[in-house]
Amino acid sequence: MEEEFLEIKDLKKSFGDGEARQDVLRGMNFTVKKGEFCVLLGPSGSGKSTLLNIIGGIDTPDSGYVSINGDKLEEMNEKELTLYRRKHLGYVFQMYNLIPNLNVKENIEVGAYLSDSPLDVEEVLATLGLEDHKYKYPNQLSGGQQQRVSIGRAVVKNPDILMCDEPTGALDYKTSKEILSLIEDCNDKFGSTVIMVTHNEAIKNMADHVIKLRDGIVRHNDRNENKIKAMELEW
Amino acid sequence: MKNPLIRRIPRELKTDWHKYLVIIIFMVIMIGVISGMYVGHDSMLAAIYSGRDELNIEDGSFELAKRASQAMLSDISSGEKADVRAYYIDKGNKEADRKVKEAVEEELDKNVRAGIEGAVRAQLFSFGITDEALIKSRIDEAMKNSFESALKDARESSEFKKAADEAYEKAHEEVLKEVDEKWDEVADRYDLDDEIIPVTVTVYEHFFREESEDNNGDKEEDAKVRIYKSDSEIDKASFNEGRAPEKDNEIAIDRMHADNVGVSIGDSINVGGKEFEVVGLLSYVNYLTLHESNTDLMFDAFGFDVAMVTPEAFDSLGARLHYNYAFKYDEAPETKIEKQDHSESFMKALITQSLVYDNELKDFLPEYLSQASNFAITDIEGDSAGSSILCYILIAVIAFIFAIIISNTIEKEASVIGTLRASGYSRAELVAHYMSMPVIVTLIGALIGNILGYTAFKDLAVRLYYNSYSLPVCHAVWSNTALVKTTVIPLLLMILINLFVIVKKLRLSPLKFLRHDLVKTKRSKAMRLPRWSFLKRFRLRILFQNIPNYVVLIFGVIFVELMMCFAFGLPDSLDHYAKEAPDMMFAEYQYVLMGSRDSDNNLIETSEQSAERFGTTNLMYQKNVITIREGMGSGKDESVTIYGISEDSKYITLNKETKEDSLFVSSAFSKKFGIKEGDVISLHEEYENKSYDFRVLGVVDYEGGIAAFLDIDSFNSAFEKDADDFSGYFSRNEITDIDEQYIATVITSKDILKVTNQLMHSMGGFMEVFKIALIIMSAALIYLLAKIIIERNEHSISMVKILGFKNGEIGSLYIIPTAIVVALFAVVAFVVGYFLMTGIFHIFMLQMNGYFAFYMEPSSMVLAVVYLLIGYAFVSLVDFVRIKKIPLDVALKNVE
Repeated sequence: MEEEFLEIKDLKKSFGDGEARQDVLRGMNFTVKKGEFCVLLGPSGSGKSTLLNIIGGIDTPDSGYVSINGDKLEEMNEKELTLYRRKHLGYVFQMYNLIPNLNVKENIEVGAYLSDSPLDVEEVLATLGLEDHKYKYPNQLSGGQQQRVSIGRAVVKNPDILMCDEPTGALDYKTSKEILSLIEDCNDKFGSTVIMVTHNEAIKNMADHVIKLRDGIVRHNDRNENKIKAMELEW
Repeated sequence: MKNPLIRRIPRELKTDWHKYLVIIIFMVIMIGVISGMYVGHDSMLAAIYSGRDELNIEDGSFELAKRASQAMLSDISSGEKADVRAYYIDKGNKEADRKVKEAVEEELDKNVRAGIEGAVRAQLFSFGITDEALIKSRIDEAMKNSFESALKDARESSEFKKAADEAYEKAHEEVLKEVDEKWDEVADRYDLDDEIIPVTVTVYEHFFREESEDNNGDKEEDAKVRIYKSDSEIDKASFNEGRAPEKDNEIAIDRMHADNVGVSIGDSINVGGKEFEVVGLLSYVNYLTLHESNTDLMFDAFGFDVAMVTPEAFDSLGARLHYNYAFKYDEAPETKIEKQDHSESFMKALITQSLVYDNELKDFLPEYLSQASNFAITDIEGDSAGSSILCYILIAVIAFIFAIIISNTIEKEASVIGTLRASGYSRAELVAHYMSMPVIVTLIGALIGNILGYTAFKDLAVRLYYNSYSLPVCHAVWSNTALVKTTVIPLLLMILINLFVIVKKLRLSPLKFLRHDLVKTKRSKAMRLPRWSFLKRFRLRILFQNIPNYVVLIFGVIFVELMMCFAFGLPDSLDHYAKEAPDMMFAEYQYVLMGSRDSDNNLIETSEQSAERFGTTNLMYQKNVITIREGMGSGKDESVTIYGISEDSKYITLNKETKEDSLFVSSAFSKKFGIKEGDVISLHEEYENKSYDFRVLGVVDYEGGIAAFLDIDSFNSAFEKDADDFSGYFSRNEITDIDEQYIATVITSKDILKVTNQLMHSMGGFMEVFKIALIIMSAALIYLLAKIIIERNEHSISMVKILGFKNGEIGSLYIIPTAIVVALFAVVAFVVGYFLMTGIFHIFMLQMNGYFAFYMEPSSMVLAVVYLLIGYAFVSLVDFVRIKKIPLDVALKNVE
């Protein structure tokens, strides 16, 4: 867990021109270690989603760089970026974005298909508590169940980094905790580095690494020595 | 691991089955019909061509005045020219010898008689006898006793022999002189001086009789029937139904004729006064169309028939035996030019042989010029060109609809796509995924379409041919053309159009998909609307919102109108042409003569006041337009009729003087190929390597055909004819004073109508089916487009339902704007469709021979729009039901 896995250096990003110009990232610097559970915390507009998208290779910075295992994303062309995402990343969004006419198991297989060393789909289903629902279609599931599927789809790839963008944003308290617990399990069990964007302060307590953002810069960058289990979180 | 996304396809097909069913039915009908037409076409041609070998078609035939001797037949087979000069000399000598002998005998007789009489008189005179009666009796007595011996002595005398020899010699010299004097003319007439390369042939006896046929028992002649023997080795028949006659009271007749006059197997018909039972319906390989004479403009399957009886029955018939012989070249020529060379060479030899064998050549027709065996083939080969254009347009429409459906799906699934892309799905994988549906649907359509094409629709197409011609039975053959045109090209069209749209759509970044930010241009501020009622403004908003959909809709409606124009316009154009055709005649009568001179070498004249000479010939115009069907056997040349027009013609006005290298073109010719005044066109002979360049002086208003006009002097000099040569007469009235034997054909408006009637007869039933199919397809198209609009607004509809709008209100909100748009578009689209169709029709015409312009009746124009509106009204009803069915939770479930 010691090696520096992800490095963010002088990352800047702005939207719009002239008066409408908005600097979203204004020189961001931090590193994440392999296997860390890292939480990017901040209010709306603090640039956390933009940051996540840049790390995920689906957005580009104006300057600065993101380097993963020493490979700079900015040096990759589109094909290499796709390959990077395919081989190293798993994505979980606030909206589950499941494919409506594929059942639970198949939605997870959509992720497995991309990976050279996918996890066993059945095992993932078991971990996520979806065994009984594996032949159901997304519209037959609750929001929490759908989010589990979307986590499954991301995790099954056995990704180096699991990117989570407000994964509990649309969920209730109890379901949120369950989902967080699952992500935690995946982090423990499969060793993926987790980068989670959230505006929920309480979640920082379960993280190894908490980065607080405001107005496009890192305000706090702390390692959490006393992390607690997701199920113990309160908010 | 297989891409799990594949599993979406069958589910999507299942979920949206009605949409895909409509599309598949659409494709099946189209591909089926087109495939059927090509398969029918290719199968028919295959049957015809294999029949030509199997049924041993002749390379030509000739008729002699009397039966040819074995010696004559073997000389004809050699293909060698007979020595006509020697024959003339020999014939002349024989005649001369006979005459000399007669003269000599007469002279000898006279001399011997005079000698005997003189001797008797001298003797009696010396005895003083003067009684004339006594003298006469003595002379008679002397004649009786010594005439023979005196004659013999005289004959044996050297003086006589010398004199006779001299006479013979002189006579033979005269004959030789006479033959030499006349030879040039004879040789010139039959081209006997030309060296020919002998073409060896095998000659077959192929006698026939022409009897009258009474096929309804009313004792009146219903048709003329040409009867051949059942044991013929050449020009055999294939049987569409039944069998060959085996008994002497059995007959097999032409299938097409039987169909037309309502005779079937088992019926009894009267031929030449004898009753025969029809046991077979046949198609003679050399009578695919029932042309009685090769100069007939159109065949006549009602008034003419061909039949087969046993040799015994044949011999028992009373009509004159036609000594017709068929021949086959021992070495078959391949090209048209070779065929022409072979037949010319053989004909020259044949003329000489018939001369030297004292027979008369009554008729000679090489097979490649025979209308009866070639007319149908040429017509079938040139067929079905237009349908493929229509097919491609329709496939493009479907591809277009697909592209819209897919781009809607992509918009709907934007966040899924964004997630998948963010997870590492490549763009290519997603393109392939979204492409698979149209490809699969096209393949399903093509598969079912092709199966139907080889079965039901093939039969439909073949029936169309059977309605027109006396064709043999055909079996479906594999058609590469059908495969390419109905599967490969539609698939390519589908792939290309969809690929273009999908690639363009998926070019956006994953982030944009995640954000649903799919529109390139940002919408500026909402447009301010006047202070109308809320519902009105809402409706207007919907209208504005759906502008992209309406753009698609107008294309769809244009396609529908295009199809309507085709459905209504094609029969209208045919009708119109049929109606106008008689007016398109230059003259009420057009007499084409066998030659400009009669057997006495005098110009053929008439006393008919309105008659006017004209010259005519046929040349070919090379189509330089690259057509889809190029190289498909329809030929790349258009036949052009060239007319030589008399000075101050009453029938055709040429407003400038032509020279041998300039001419006027008919308006049809000009329109078809875009030929203008001042252009230089190149025309060439069909069977010879000879071409002519002409400068176009102007356009003559004549829509009846692809024709060009010169004044007759220029015509004759351009085509190296004698100055007074001509081909026939235009006339306002019937010409009665020209001997029938000099008239090749008479063209009246009836003949032009025969052509169009035949066309209507062949196409009529098919047209109606086609029209209905097109209308159904149009309705389906509108259905799909309207469905797309509702689907796109599903979310908003659900939302307004939640807000408490009633179904009726929602219906009026979403259906009325579309209805107004459709109504407006229908008219605009009709105009666009009409002009497009006119252009497409022109391209279609370019691939065919002849020309007629696209035409639509005003009533058809109105109907084309009305049908669309009726179709839309029906679709609106379906839409309303669909709106009612949209559940409330659509809006809630997809909240993001």
